[in-house]
Amino acid sequence: MPKGQQSPDRPAGTERSALAGIDELTIGANGAEARRASEWLDTTCRRRNVPQALVERLALCLHEVLANVIAHGGSSALSAPIRLQFEVRLEQDCGKASVTVSDAGIAFNPLFVPNKILPKTLDKASAGGLGLVMIRRCSDWLDYRHEDGHNHLTFGARWNTR
Amino acid sequence: MSISYDDIGDNLRRIVITGRLDMPGTDSVASTLGELIAAPKKGVVVDLSSLKFLASIGIRALITSAKAVQQRGGKMVLVVNGGSSVLMSLEATGVDQLIPVFRNAADAERAAVA
Repeated sequence: MPKGQQSPDRPAGTERSALAGIDELTIGANGAEARRASEWLDTTCRRRNVPQALVERLALCLHEVLANVIAHGGSSALSAPIRLQFEVRLEQDCGKASVTVSDAGIAFNPLFVPNKILPKTLDKASAGGLGLVMIRRCSDWLDYRHEDGHNHLTFGARWNTR
Repeated sequence: MSISYDDIGDNLRRIVITGRLDMPGTDSVASTLGELIAAPKKGVVVDLSSLKFLASIGIRALITSAKAVQQRGGKMVLVVNGGSSVLMSLEATGVDQLIPVFRNAADAERAAVA
């Protein structure tokens, strides 16, 4: 499928089927490209009528996942493109929007990372480690697999359609 | 992306950040924020009410700034719009419990110099 094109996985002709589908984007591993990905996600979510509150949550998750790849993925992550796949599924009474980020960096399964204990006072706060906290708090589910030398991390959010 | 400031009397500095505190946005303002925070003011209000996006890298810059102000005996507070994406970022990371957050500038200014 061409980059940036949609491929509806349901027949066209109904309002529901027009919302569901898959979009893809390939970006480079740097901050400017992460911003481009955020703009792409925003545009794609609006086209598929994903509720705005969820769009903001997904955008935060996407930024944090990309920031992690760029900061910790190593040279293999920085030299290879990052592939993004956005999918909307409509079930009987809910919608599900998910983003899969595929990168060639060092294998890293965030599901194995223990939850960070948040400090109670400013003087005990450390400035780092908040990206994964944000991903966990802003997504409804996370899924990870390492396949063909790539990390594939999926995060998503759901909303009621009734 | 912009960062600006104005001093309100001798004890209070207000810093306004607009745009997006994502990776490129934070890179572009972090050093200026550090310089503005370093002024020997008792209170610092960082106004984020026109900020569109706050990622963890931006939160990191805010925590570092708040600590610097606290270490010299001052206090840094934030102004954030209720229901905004920026407030969601602060709440998701628990930082709203570490750095006082206000919905309006007047309340924030009073708290910063209290």
